[in-house]
Amino acid sequence: MRLVPFPPPGPSPDEPTAMEVEAALHGDAVGPSAEYWRELRADVRALAPELEPELERRLRARIDERVAERRSQPARGSRRSLRSALDAWLAGGVRNRAIALGAVASLLAVVAVLAIAAPWRSAGHPAAEPPSAQNTLESASGASSNSSVEHGAAAAPRAAAGAAGAAVAPGKSQFSPQAGAEDLGPSERRIQQHAVSITLAPRPQAVQSVADQVTRLATRDGGFVLRSQVDVEPKGQSSATLQLQLPSEQLSAALASLAQLAPVRVESQSLQDITGGYDAARTKLADAVAARQALLRALAHATTQGQIESLRERLSLAGGAIARAHGEFDAISKRGSSAAIEVTVSGDAHAGGGESVLESGLNDAGEVLAVALKALLIALAALAPLTILATLLVLGWRAARRRLRERALS
Amino acid sequence: MRRSVSSTEAERPSAPGQPSGEELEGAAFDRLFRECAGDVHGYAISLLRDAAAAEDVTALAFERLFRARARLDRAKGSPRAWLFAIARNAALDELRRRRRRPLDASEQEPPDRPGAGDPIERVERSADLRAALLELSPREREIVLLKFHGQLTNAELARALGISESNAGTRLHRALLKLRDACSELGRLEVA
Repeated sequence: MRLVPFPPPGPSPDEPTAMEVEAALHGDAVGPSAEYWRELRADVRALAPELEPELERRLRARIDERVAERRSQPARGSRRSLRSALDAWLAGGVRNRAIALGAVASLLAVVAVLAIAAPWRSAGHPAAEPPSAQNTLESASGASSNSSVEHGAAAAPRAAAGAAGAAVAPGKSQFSPQAGAEDLGPSERRIQQHAVSITLAPRPQAVQSVADQVTRLATRDGGFVLRSQVDVEPKGQSSATLQLQLPSEQLSAALASLAQLAPVRVESQSLQDITGGYDAARTKLADAVAARQALLRALAHATTQGQIESLRERLSLAGGAIARAHGEFDAISKRGSSAAIEVTVSGDAHAGGGESVLESGLNDAGEVLAVALKALLIALAALAPLTILATLLVLGWRAARRRLRERALS
Repeated sequence: MRRSVSSTEAERPSAPGQPSGEELEGAAFDRLFRECAGDVHGYAISLLRDAAAAEDVTALAFERLFRARARLDRAKGSPRAWLFAIARNAALDELRRRRRRPLDASEQEPPDRPGAGDPIERVERSADLRAALLELSPREREIVLLKFHGQLTNAELARALGISESNAGTRLHRALLKLRDACSELGRLEVA
């Protein structure tokens, strides 16, 4: 060590600036002053003891031991190596970070899309909570219920099919077509009458075709067409109206099939409880039969010709009453076991039905993109405050830790 | 005193040749250890005044640097600068944990081992310098030790301290002037 005389104490006009000291320590400056700062640094460094070989060996061993210790924890080690690799990749540049950000955003968007349009949500199709849905229940001798669904003109057939099923679902115990004559107990039955009105909106040139398919569908499902009217105008508004009668148990399947023929614009279902009328008809029939049997018994015990004539006349009347009661009973039973469907086919120039595969694909792609964009916006909206909060927390935690450390020097 | 570092020796050990974070494996890490272990240990023992704690901090700093080698951003500092930033944090954590004040005169002195043949002048100067350092505030002492042992640029010093570069330069400059004045005062007293 070379001893350099200390300069006089106190501030002097030729006191070195910070930059001069830095230059001197960096070896860029020459002269007594620069030499002094370099010697001072060497002296301060020399105050610390030398790193002896034994200590160096011990340090190496400790470092190796610690590193090996960390590596011996397989789960954490693999996680750490993954994290290290990711960190190294992120440190690669702005492009890598942008890619990572895009990947995270895409992942979030996919998650959001799945959350919004997940298959498990289709069970509760929007028809279950449509904006224009109305559901009323009238309770009288016959309780009835109506539910109608307004569909967009471009609603997908599958969606409409789901709507049909879902519209029924909320009150399945009452609405289910299979429950046309539902048993409520061993001695009591609920008889319900279904009526459905559905409007299909195919392209104008497909109205005739759709009407034909509706007719085929009705006969296929064991029903029939009560009435139909098809008006096709080459350059005007084409439309068709068909009234179908189908077995109640085929109603759901029929509605789903109808929804596949063309986009469903409107769908409305009504359900009327006709148990009271059914019971009345049944009682009336039973009474008529009982009355006739009573008359027959009385006839067997008649002794005079006058009694016999009178009883035969009354038996004739009773037979007519039984026939009428039977007819009424059959009619109301039929109402409970079948469903009336009114299908309106109305041509729509903007409908997706009948469109080409390319148009359909483009429409689907547009819808998917719209949903993805919406999901991305939702994800970003949710992510932005979370990111800000997390950033603030991290910054706060770092600042607090730094303050705590600096406090050790206070 | 163990050594005297000339101006060229005192320059930072070949910063451009130092390995980047990704390259800090095997031989490169070993080279970094050879180049920096003595300085890190010297810094730690000067700050903590405790040989065992200094050894712990040195080992911890290298271990953390090795673990974090993939995350090191060379643009924000060389591995040496990162190493000293880590060592500083570890040393401050150690100080905080042990509720000890750094470089307190009442605390354990670092082993001072001047050779038997050292001139008396050198021993006296060493004692003066040690006393002058004790006249600095802990923060001033810390920045001087970090600058001299770490041989960091002011920018790297600022990153390690978590302050701006100009602030780091100013604080360092004031501490160095104060140290110089303290040394001069002590030298004058001795002469008197």
